[in-house]
Amino acid sequence: MEQEKTGENYAEAFFADWMKSAMNFWGEMAKTQPDFPGGFGMDFTPRSTKSAEQARKMWETGGKIFQSLFSTASRPDSVEEALKGIDAVPDLIMTMARQSWDGYYELQKQWMDRAAKFNYQTKAYNFEDIDQETFKAVRDLYEREFQKFLKVPSLGLTRFYQDKFNNTIDKYNIFVTAISEFIYMFYVPIEKTGVVMQEKLEEMAEQGQFFDDFKDYYNMWIKILEGHYMTLLQSPEYTDVMDKTIQALVHYREAKEELVSDILRNLPVPTNREMDELYKDLYVLKKKVRDLSKKVEGNGNLAAETK
Amino acid sequence: MNQPKIAVDLILKRMAESSEQVKSRARKASEVLLGPLETDLATTPHEIVYQEDRMRLKHYKPEKVKHKYPLLLVYALINRETMLDLQPERSVITNFMKEGIEVYMIDWGYPTRKDQFLTIDDHVNGYMDNVVDFIRKRHNLPQINLMGICMGGAFSVMYSSLHPEKIKNLVTTVTPTNFDTDKGLLHIWMKQTNADLLEEGYGNMPGDLMNLGFLLLNPARLIIDKYIGFFENMDNRTFVENFVRMEKWIFDSPDVPGATFRQFVVDCYQKNLLIQNKLELDGKRVDLKNITMPLLNIYGKFDHLVPPEACERLTREVGSKDTEDQCLNTGHIGIYVSSKCQELFAPKIAGWLKEREPEPKKKKTAAKSTTGKTAAARKTAKAEEPAKKSASAKSSGSKKTKAASGTSRAKKTQKTGTGS
Repeated sequence: MEQEKTGENYAEAFFADWMKSAMNFWGEMAKTQPDFPGGFGMDFTPRSTKSAEQARKMWETGGKIFQSLFSTASRPDSVEEALKGIDAVPDLIMTMARQSWDGYYELQKQWMDRAAKFNYQTKAYNFEDIDQETFKAVRDLYEREFQKFLKVPSLGLTRFYQDKFNNTIDKYNIFVTAISEFIYMFYVPIEKTGVVMQEKLEEMAEQGQFFDDFKDYYNMWIKILEGHYMTLLQSPEYTDVMDKTIQALVHYREAKEELVSDILRNLPVPTNREMDELYKDLYVLKKKVRDLSKKVEGNGNLAAETK
Repeated sequence: MNQPKIAVDLILKRMAESSEQVKSRARKASEVLLGPLETDLATTPHEIVYQEDRMRLKHYKPEKVKHKYPLLLVYALINRETMLDLQPERSVITNFMKEGIEVYMIDWGYPTRKDQFLTIDDHVNGYMDNVVDFIRKRHNLPQINLMGICMGGAFSVMYSSLHPEKIKNLVTTVTPTNFDTDKGLLHIWMKQTNADLLEEGYGNMPGDLMNLGFLLLNPARLIIDKYIGFFENMDNRTFVENFVRMEKWIFDSPDVPGATFRQFVVDCYQKNLLIQNKLELDGKRVDLKNITMPLLNIYGKFDHLVPPEACERLTREVGSKDTEDQCLNTGHIGIYVSSKCQELFAPKIAGWLKEREPEPKKKKTAAKSTTGKTAAARKTAKAEEPAKKSASAKSSGSKKTKAASGTSRAKKTQKTGTGS
């Protein structure tokens, strides 16, 4: 029974062995450095003997703490707990993958629906029927299924950096979604113009009319396209998408700058925020000096006139 | 067998001819593009006479000065003032100089991050005022002539309202003052733009972002058709040179100081404060009724950036009785660069300014003694005379002169009556 259990938990046994060997290794390491830090073949002067003894004791203490930690960790119950945590990881990955797949499936369905509607939805000079549902689906999918992973609370010393990194990724994803919709909007008039051109050419062919210069067809196409763009660009749908794209761009830029600022803090380079504070002070000071100079000049002129 | 409705053979023949043309054009085009091209902008000789921070003042002196008052040109903060001096044959500056006008022009330079806090007040009551004082002192004159272009025109209107004693005549060209219109796409878009967010995120408004916005105003023409036109004319050296010059100018876009951009969008485009006399610059209210000097307001009938609706209200709102609207049959940039407008624009302004220069004392005395009019009548007549003269001047566009229009004058009187 005992053997069976050990056999079943082979991973546990392996983990315990590894812990034990690591413990022994650090124990031996402590013993091999009796006169640390004068060890490793280095000779210290008598002045440093006391400090070397202190350091040796610290090393021993540190080693013991390390050993006890390892011993605790290598106890079968602790190993079991640790492995349970490891077991949970594939579950999490599976959940993420399942959610991603569900979302992707939903998205594909939307695309297929849209592809099926291709050429049937287009009306000339009318943008009320713009298919924004696909982009709404992408946005919803992202917000519902993915964004939450980036919003998981970060812990520990590096939590602020992790937060900023996650925020940058989040804002980037939002921006990419927004810009995709914006680009799609710009494609719509081209699609609509193609359909209108097709109709016009059919009409012309029926009447036996044709242009003998290709440039005339191009002129017709560009005129229709311009008309479509003029209608689109004035529409509230376009203004709304443009506004959202600009906002997403600015938010992404801000998040990115926050992240870069943190990196720059470790380098001898001033960040934009620091420079902006300095510029603001400079601006206020310059303005004050300018106003005062004008006042002084004005008073000088007045005094001269009075004399 | 029925005859096909479309003559395929003719189409094929045309295609063969076209391909020959394309081949020949490509051969010539490579010679043009690989050869030397004159594409420099702003080549008219000038001198930098004043400099403050990033701003510089250019001075153009004609061979013979025929005007007593120099003219200060204030360009917009968007794009560069080099547009007024694109090339020797199409240069507003050169044309002014030919008319004997001494020209000063503000070059706003390239704002950096340190300029992001500069407001409209800093530009109008700071840089512009210093420049005007500098020119007045240099010429020992109490007043100078002021001409503004687009946003620079709006700055000039603000300046003339706050410092009317320093301005002899005001000329506004494609200047937006009434922002309560949905005629131009820019007016529609700006109403929804979150300028605060852009200022926070970018500091200065990036020139490239604005340029992208301008291209999107008419993508079919500005992104596709324009370059198709270029490929069709690549074998024409003059065309290529002019095209490249224009490209250089269009994409030479300095950033706009963040605080100025935000204030212009919010106070002007979104709240329309300027035309309502509610705009404040550093606590000082801009009252258009303070603009009592003669005003010439020029704009383009087909301007898609600043439509006539955004320009024409100004002359009705100012305090001056000597005003004139001149609507030219062209667009926003065409006013300054089209060869047709080149013939009209500078001579029209020069003539209008000349008419408002004080006549020699001798002549004035003679007029007084012969007409025997009252002082008030003389004043009105003097204001009307140049306007009548300019009404008969040659022009391709339409024109409305307040002083010459009975309806406008009556309207003005009625307004004053109600007010009092």
